[in-house]
Amino acid sequence: MSRLVAELPVPTGTKPVGAGRRRRSRQERLAYTILVPALGTVFIIVTIPFVIAVWQSITSDDGTFIGLRNYSRALGNPLFFDALRATGLYALIVLPTEILLGLAFALLVHRAVKRAGLRATLYVLAVLPLVVPPVAVGVVARLIYAPGYGVLNYVLQSVGITHSEIQWLGVSALAMGAVASVDIWQWTPFVYLVLFAGLQTVPKESIEAAQVDGATWWTQFRYIELHYLRPLFLLILFFRMADVLRVFDHVYILTGGGPGTATQLLSLYIYRIEFRFFDGGQAAALAVMVLVSISILYSLVTRALPLERA
Amino acid sequence: MRGRRVAIGVRLMLIVAGLGVAGFLYAFPLYWLIATSLKGKAELYQSITLVPRHPTLQPYYSVIFERGFWVLLKNSVIVCAATVVVTLAVGLVITYPITRLSVPPGLRVGVLNWALSLRFLPPVAVVVPYFAIVRTLQIYNQPIALIGIYSLFNLPFAIWMLKGFLAEIPIELEEAALVDGANRWTSFRRVLLPLAAPGLMAAATIVFTFAWSEFLFALILTATPNSQTFPVGVQGLVTQFEIIWNDMAASGVIAMSVPLVLMVIARKYMVAGLTFGVIREK
Repeated sequence: MSRLVAELPVPTGTKPVGAGRRRRSRQERLAYTILVPALGTVFIIVTIPFVIAVWQSITSDDGTFIGLRNYSRALGNPLFFDALRATGLYALIVLPTEILLGLAFALLVHRAVKRAGLRATLYVLAVLPLVVPPVAVGVVARLIYAPGYGVLNYVLQSVGITHSEIQWLGVSALAMGAVASVDIWQWTPFVYLVLFAGLQTVPKESIEAAQVDGATWWTQFRYIELHYLRPLFLLILFFRMADVLRVFDHVYILTGGGPGTATQLLSLYIYRIEFRFFDGGQAAALAVMVLVSISILYSLVTRALPLERA
Repeated sequence: MRGRRVAIGVRLMLIVAGLGVAGFLYAFPLYWLIATSLKGKAELYQSITLVPRHPTLQPYYSVIFERGFWVLLKNSVIVCAATVVVTLAVGLVITYPITRLSVPPGLRVGVLNWALSLRFLPPVAVVVPYFAIVRTLQIYNQPIALIGIYSLFNLPFAIWMLKGFLAEIPIELEEAALVDGANRWTSFRRVLLPLAAPGLMAAATIVFTFAWSEFLFALILTATPNSQTFPVGVQGLVTQFEIIWNDMAASGVIAMSVPLVLMVIARKYMVAGLTFGVIREK
């Protein structure tokens, strides 16, 4: 049984290359002949949309230059701030919950489940939610929360906790909770898998030594294991934050952004401006602002990521 | 001694409770989805039952044939398969030189960093310009538009996964072939590709599932069943005026069954793919 571990980069010098100078330069030439056209094409395909977005944002439909008018309209739209607020709230609910639950589960299984077969089974089960299409998860959530057929109300009523139907998708706070619960359902296993793998990298000797010294499970965690998990928390936070900005599918299916604008996350908001209000200029301005802020954020955080880049 | 045994008992109960609650929270929604998909139309208008009274496959028949979703399934398969081919081909072209040829380390790091940054490009930020491009190129409502965009968005995963797989194959094997008089292309095709095949399969499976799940671009860039993918069809069942619950559930089951089955093949590599190689199978 192979096991899953976290592979953190070890700082090393450049790999020694056994080849002579002439051969290396020939290899290098071949590398560039292959790389330049491929990378160039991809680069152009990636860059063109950005240029177009900038162009769309500073011109009107007939191509005349209108300056930053689209930006001031985008920033002047109160719905934009509703969307930012909703996205922030969503992130504040989803990220801590997923990380805490995932961590609790990783620790639980790491400490309590020693049988390799059971661990392997849990691994497979935890991978499964990650590949379920968000649209399908949205369908499941509909079947649970929807008025009329939603099974949650049915269960609550038959157990006797409530006596009337709760409008899970009709009240702002509840709808946000419902939408967030879908994210938590789908992505907590990811956090679990990453942190569980991280726990496997903790040297057994240091744990045993701590136990001999009478360390409780908390001190074990706080002073030994947490140290090994720290880079992974960063990784999780970064990847999940990027994903929160992409969230679209399950919210679109479950609430469509409603009630009102309660669950209208940034991605749904831009979609709505472009394809419901057909306001391409404002949507382009929003897109440029999102791209610029992501780039800044990315360049600030990326160095800290524990990725093996060599 | 007795206190200790009690403590162990309490711990065991906590563990069982933790696993049990989690198991229920994951199993029940899926059960409800499947149960609903097996209900007949008449049963939907009676009071809710946790177990279908007269289980039937009628909803599946209705979704696939009466509503014509088999066309969407076909589109999805075509788009995903083409995406896999394009993504892996481009991925190999980019990862082969940086892993198998001696290039300056700066180039290798640069390419990988650039691929990583693409991973954080939020699709919704490029939806607006892509829509304009697709309309200008007159490929709106055609699978080719989706194939291109899916390949682009899956490329970062492919590059990082392939880099991991290729780097693990000893360079000496290829060098031996070269010494024996094979040229680079032959040694790539006859030595490297067969050795990388399991990794390529895994990457292909994962890219396929990602493309299978994609919804936003499919929603925006397609308009008719000629090119719509399956998730768009599912969405159509959810947002219509009167929801037919059993059909909707059946479409959900179909949408999730494909990636779930594929994961049996690629389960070992999934986490490595999602974390860009930080978490690996050892």
